[in-house]
Amino acid sequence: MNAPPPSGFALYRPRAVAVGARDGTPITVGDRRLRVEAIREEWLIEDRWWTREVLRRHYFELVLEGGRCLTVFHDLAGGGWFEQRAF
Amino acid sequence: MIVGSLLIPRFSLIAALGDRREMLAEPAVLAPDPGAEQLIGETSGAAEAYGVRPGMVLSEALARCPRLSLIPPDPGRAELLWERSLQALEGIGAEVEPARPGEVFFAIGGLLGLWGLEPEGVLNKAARSIDSPARAGAGPTRFCAYAAASTSRVRRRRPLVISAALARSFLQPLEIGLLRNRLPGPRQAALRLVETLERLGVATLGDLAGLPRVAVADRFGGLGLRAHDLACGSDHPLRPRRPHEELLAALGLPEAAYGTQLDRALELLVERLVADPRRRGRTIRSLRLEAQLAGGGGWQAKVPMRSATAAPERLLLALGPKLAQLPAPASTLALRALELGPEGAAQLSLADERGDRRREQLSEATRQARAAAGRDALLRVVEVEVDSRIPERRAMLVPHSS
Repeated sequence: MNAPPPSGFALYRPRAVAVGARDGTPITVGDRRLRVEAIREEWLIEDRWWTREVLRRHYFELVLEGGRCLTVFHDLAGGGWFEQRAF
Repeated sequence: MIVGSLLIPRFSLIAALGDRREMLAEPAVLAPDPGAEQLIGETSGAAEAYGVRPGMVLSEALARCPRLSLIPPDPGRAELLWERSLQALEGIGAEVEPARPGEVFFAIGGLLGLWGLEPEGVLNKAARSIDSPARAGAGPTRFCAYAAASTSRVRRRRPLVISAALARSFLQPLEIGLLRNRLPGPRQAALRLVETLERLGVATLGDLAGLPRVAVADRFGGLGLRAHDLACGSDHPLRPRRPHEELLAALGLPEAAYGTQLDRALELLVERLVADPRRRGRTIRSLRLEAQLAGGGGWQAKVPMRSATAAPERLLLALGPKLAQLPAPASTLALRALELGPEGAAQLSLADERGDRRREQLSEATRQARAAAGRDALLRVVEVEVDSRIPERRAMLVPHSS
């Protein structure tokens, strides 16, 4: 049995995901390189710019091959791609 | 917050050796627990000189040191001795968070002024309050305090106290092996993670902290992220235990007893525990059955009750199957109440108030889940910033209060 998550644990935490991108736009997602069929929406979030931990994210709501919907973002401040399941 | 830590190296091994402490100078290790995986426990310094490490497979340890002495573990005695130390610490006002026997953490803030104006004074007082010589250290987090205590020497005049500003630079040069005992979950997984990191050339905590967090998550998952957090100097806040009264009934068996003799001994223990005046009518939520084995070493089994009770027949029903798991004839049998419930038995209601009954059942289920699987077994979602554009700021998991 897995240990329960510790208390004080934030929900909807982003999880690192492998994304193949061209010009900043995702074209494949995951280790199995699922093809992105469509981008339903994209938006930018900038926050905490007044601190040293600036948060800049480029979100994409994707439709993958097989019909699965997934929200991913590109961390423009720290680098890397993440998936997040709260939208 | 300043967290203090006291460490007594090889505590479980010393407890199992009893009055044969001279064996610490020889290659000796705690033998694997009966019926468990064949992994050795704590090791003496002489065994470590042969390359034998805690958590190693028994056959490999014997291959490295053929004259290794295997000491039967005695978890009951280790818990008993450690509980005395914890109570001594609580006696000076410390709110303790015990880890495994030989490791304890406590907040220093509340003790400043009482035992000294500096953390060093409080640590010295805490170290003096327990019987065995301990390594003491303090830091802004539990892991930092652990690292400070691990690197300090026993009976050092000034314990090592690390400030928040220096925490990261203090942790950086320390070897990655410090994480072995501080990662959550199965010990084997923690050992594997540290071994893999060492093979990859990640030798120090600074090396690990310097790796991109994304890469650590990708390669090592949740456990890797936890290790990364610790290496970067962040840790969960302390969760001190509530001081509690010790309820224990023990029975020395005149000769190595087995079968019906043991059943009768268990009945006697249950009756003694239930009749203990310190129980003051409260019910028992979880117990631990402990035995000293006739061939040396000890055994113990935790028994959480489905509902808190003081009925001897229900306690016996729950304890009976555990007693059948006793691996060898016992010379002493003991029963310890770990957690007590409210006074008296559940009061039945004449009116059919389904809502109240359901709430009571849910509260009881909450308490049972906690008794069986720990305080973090049941959490609830609390909305923090519902409309935040950053999803991970919207809700948190916090302990569920019944």
